[in-house]
Amino acid sequence: MSESTSTATVRPESDTVIELERVSKSFGTLKAVDEVSLSIARGSCYALLGPNGAGKTTLTRIIGGVLPRNGGKVWVLGRDPWEEQSEVKARLGVVLQEDALDEDLDVARNLEIYGRFYWITGRRLKEKVHDLLTLVNLDGRERSQIMALSGGMKRRLVIARALLNEPEILLLDEPTTGLDPQVRQLIWSLMRKLMAGGMTILLTTHYMFEAAELADRVGIMDQGKLIAEGAPAQLIETYLPPFVLEFESSQATDLFLAEQAEPLLVERHGDRTLIFHESEQLLLDLVSRLQLSRTGLRGTTLEDVFLKLTGRGLHE
Amino acid sequence: MSEMARVTIPTHRAPPRPARIASVWFRHYRVYFNSFFANATPAVFEPIFFIVAMGIGVGRFIDVQFLGLDYASFMAPGILAMTSMYTSSFEATYGTFVRLRYQNTYDAMLATPLTARDIFVGELLWCSTKGLLFATIVGMVLLAFGKVLTPWSILIPLVGFLTAMAFGGLSFLVTSIVLNMNHFQFYFTLILTPLIFFSGLAFPVHTLPRSLSYVAYSLPMFHVIETFRMVTSGYRHVTVSWAWVCPLLLVLMALVLGWLGVRRMARRVQR
Repeated sequence: MSESTSTATVRPESDTVIELERVSKSFGTLKAVDEVSLSIARGSCYALLGPNGAGKTTLTRIIGGVLPRNGGKVWVLGRDPWEEQSEVKARLGVVLQEDALDEDLDVARNLEIYGRFYWITGRRLKEKVHDLLTLVNLDGRERSQIMALSGGMKRRLVIARALLNEPEILLLDEPTTGLDPQVRQLIWSLMRKLMAGGMTILLTTHYMFEAAELADRVGIMDQGKLIAEGAPAQLIETYLPPFVLEFESSQATDLFLAEQAEPLLVERHGDRTLIFHESEQLLLDLVSRLQLSRTGLRGTTLEDVFLKLTGRGLHE
Repeated sequence: MSEMARVTIPTHRAPPRPARIASVWFRHYRVYFNSFFANATPAVFEPIFFIVAMGIGVGRFIDVQFLGLDYASFMAPGILAMTSMYTSSFEATYGTFVRLRYQNTYDAMLATPLTARDIFVGELLWCSTKGLLFATIVGMVLLAFGKVLTPWSILIPLVGFLTAMAFGGLSFLVTSIVLNMNHFQFYFTLILTPLIFFSGLAFPVHTLPRSLSYVAYSLPMFHVIETFRMVTSGYRHVTVSWAWVCPLLLVLMALVLGWLGVRRMARRVQR
């Protein structure tokens, strides 16, 4: 059986709105996406995590009907997004990594031009633009020039733009990269509001806390492969004990660890040492024994799992 | 069918292709007329300066008739051709490249129901529209100077449109392969500019040595200028006896180059 992508048939819509079956994409010799399979349920939020160059953006572009794939099957809302680009894209909202706003046009015009790509015109377009600008707290900014907007305002405008066609699925490629915490909070609360309204969200990020904060399910990508998947809490549970003690490595601590009869689960990130354990009490004992600061003792996070799975070296 | 009937969420249909193409055209129209005077002023004044300096300034000292016309009237079709060609070529090179590389305009458009083909068909039609617009403006300037001689000049906008489409397509081909904007210099300086000067703008090419005149006849610009000549000066003043072929070739060039250019650009944005 070949893994061809040629057959385009419409499947009945189900609760699975995005389904990928062994999807691959190469650019020359580089395997950007390597046999990725996943499925996303209607109304859920799925976060794709991964270091830069892991293939997250390529995968979202394939799902968004913008890039063809080399192998595997993709279903978005029951259709093949490459074979039926226009039909699928009419029901998606996309927030790109770059803002890609029209610098020559003001805020309202940017949305109006974009609305026409969906054939939204006239009164309906005007109302839509007004409602969305209100939703993202940009009301009153209709006539502002794009260059006069801050980075956070531009991001909110881009999100408003992605909602013009009342999409069923929202694809967000690193929506909060480079934004200050206030704007990030605002965007998160906006996303929660959308999810409460039944929106399905696929989000790429390299902020673990963002994924932990928003996602029902998380997929970790590395070098084109989906290497782990699950609910955030479940992922942590699967890969690491619940508590960790983190401290700056020294000769004394290294010596101590070397002398341990019972081996501990130790990870090293640069000059930091992390000891993972089931028992918080055992780690507390270590704190006093090694005369460390108690602030190094904390619960295991998604970031710990991510670093364990993708390795500590730079991926370049 | 009962499967589909179960779907309760209102599903948005994609706009039909003509509406998608029109929306791209409209986007360019909106951006362009947002700062029309800054955009259009040089393009209008250049041909005016040209006709004044060359036609009337130099022309007074050239006491020959070309194709039975005074020098400025002889040059009028070439000026129309040059205007249509440059307007469209600038848009489809620098304009397109900036949208592609710096403004990410196409990425934003591709996120909508537009396909890559829709985007570049719309863009080509916009380039052609600009050709139409400027041919019309320059045509009116020429009319004011008394250099437009036949009622057929009502077709000047159409010829401008077709010329701009042909060069828009050719320019797309160039834009689809360049790596940075400086490369466009080669295209403008080494291809377009010589093309226009050796195709009958400044002198009638049938006066060249025979072999060179055949070279001139094979240039696409010759057919453009000859077509403009028919609609500005009338069929009596054409260069060659088979001039009726030229409008047909122009239509052919517009369609073929346009189609090739759109295809190449669509591939460039969607590998």
